[in-house]
Amino acid sequence: MIDHFTLHKWLYRGLLVALTVLDIFIRVLPLGEGRGTFPGPELLLCVVFAWVLRRPAYAPALLIAAIFLTTDMLFQNPPGLWPGLVVLGAEFLRVREPLSRDLPFAIEWGMVAGVMVIMLLAERMILGVFMVEQASFGLSALQLVMTVAIYPMVVFLSTFALGVHKLQPGEADAMGNHV
Amino acid sequence: MAKDRNTSDDFVRPIRRILIGLLVVALFGVFLLWRIDSPRVERFRAALVDRFVPSFEWALVPVTKLAGMVEDFQSYARIYDQNQELRRELQQMKAWKEAALQLEQENAKLLDLNNVRLDARLSYVTGVVLADSGSPFRQSVLLNIGARDGVIDGWAAMDGLGLVGRISGVGSQTARVILLTDSNSRIPVTIQPSGQTALLAGDNSATPPLEFLENQDQVRPGDRVVSSGDGGVYPAGLLVGHVAQGSDRRLRVRLAADYERLEYLRVLRSHADERISDPGGLVVPNPLPPISPPGGDGG
Repeated sequence: MIDHFTLHKWLYRGLLVALTVLDIFIRVLPLGEGRGTFPGPELLLCVVFAWVLRRPAYAPALLIAAIFLTTDMLFQNPPGLWPGLVVLGAEFLRVREPLSRDLPFAIEWGMVAGVMVIMLLAERMILGVFMVEQASFGLSALQLVMTVAIYPMVVFLSTFALGVHKLQPGEADAMGNHV
Repeated sequence: MAKDRNTSDDFVRPIRRILIGLLVVALFGVFLLWRIDSPRVERFRAALVDRFVPSFEWALVPVTKLAGMVEDFQSYARIYDQNQELRRELQQMKAWKEAALQLEQENAKLLDLNNVRLDARLSYVTGVVLADSGSPFRQSVLLNIGARDGVIDGWAAMDGLGLVGRISGVGSQTARVILLTDSNSRIPVTIQPSGQTALLAGDNSATPPLEFLENQDQVRPGDRVVSSGDGGVYPAGLLVGHVAQGSDRRLRVRLAADYERLEYLRVLRSHADERISDPGGLVVPNPLPPISPPGGDGG
């Protein structure tokens, strides 16, 4: 029989894939939305970071890499660079997950924002070194601000609508290696 | 129990770290590969889009229709104003029609006098916009025609009025059109009354600026901008838009194509130009044999 925790783990991984497909679907709709005006936030990045800081097992590194590589491929970004940075950022946060269990949300938010800023700077630097055409810094910065701003909302929704909440002290022991 | 976990962690953690490192290296490797051998990766990308996006079509169609219905419904609300406006426009159009008829006759006469041959080889394939994965960073649309309809990379795409962009990336059933507003788009244009050439450089805004313009004083807002056909990139003489002056006093182009609603695009079949490569027997009576490249016969 399948263990309760294992079942949950795989259910949530499936949910992450479903969210990705939904995100791609919405962005691919021919509604002419966001064309030349205002960059929307990177919702998937928020979801991944929020889950990594709550239940690391729900967002394994391989799945994160696959998700971001797919979106890169579909949306004409330079493939591979951003997924690599996302995996690094997620690992950085994953290591600090036990630490962040007792911290207030504001500090978690600041940490996530810091990681996102460093990721953006690293991306722009590497693209600059490889002389790849890139969007203006203002636009990227604006998108970063939007992403950071939407993060609490994503955390709220994923906690109360999807049930991904932080581990309580007792829970961590009960789950053993499934964390 | 707690001790057990710690010891297993001692083994798991370094291995995990190595695996994550390998994953990141592999991802950066993909990026490097793309930078070194871009065409191959882009072909793979086109194949992926070709597989992936049409499978969404069953869901894309109803959502698009619904959005269209909502828009139509909103337009009912201001139907009276629209009617008035249309009547006014119709009046103006009648005047224009008279002028156009006269001009057409005059033009026909002049063409007859000149014995001008218009390019009869420009035919087109019409495609429906399947999806626009546009964002402020990338301006492109996906058409539902591809290699099986004979579409080739580099052909021009127009809507009814003006140039929209060029084909960049062809799958078997889909093709991607990079719009003129994309920051990677550069096309040679001519500005019409003055005949000056310039480069229309997309910068992700709705009105791309003109670059490398020789004499700005000869160009006025409102001048027609058409493609010049330099470099064999586009057929010459396709309407692109009209010159407008931006708030930063740069000359920009207001595009003639309706970018707000790109539904049907026609892709112009263009054929490679004939090129004159030899100097000709009259100019050089005894042409020298072509010089072999240095080192070619050394070894």
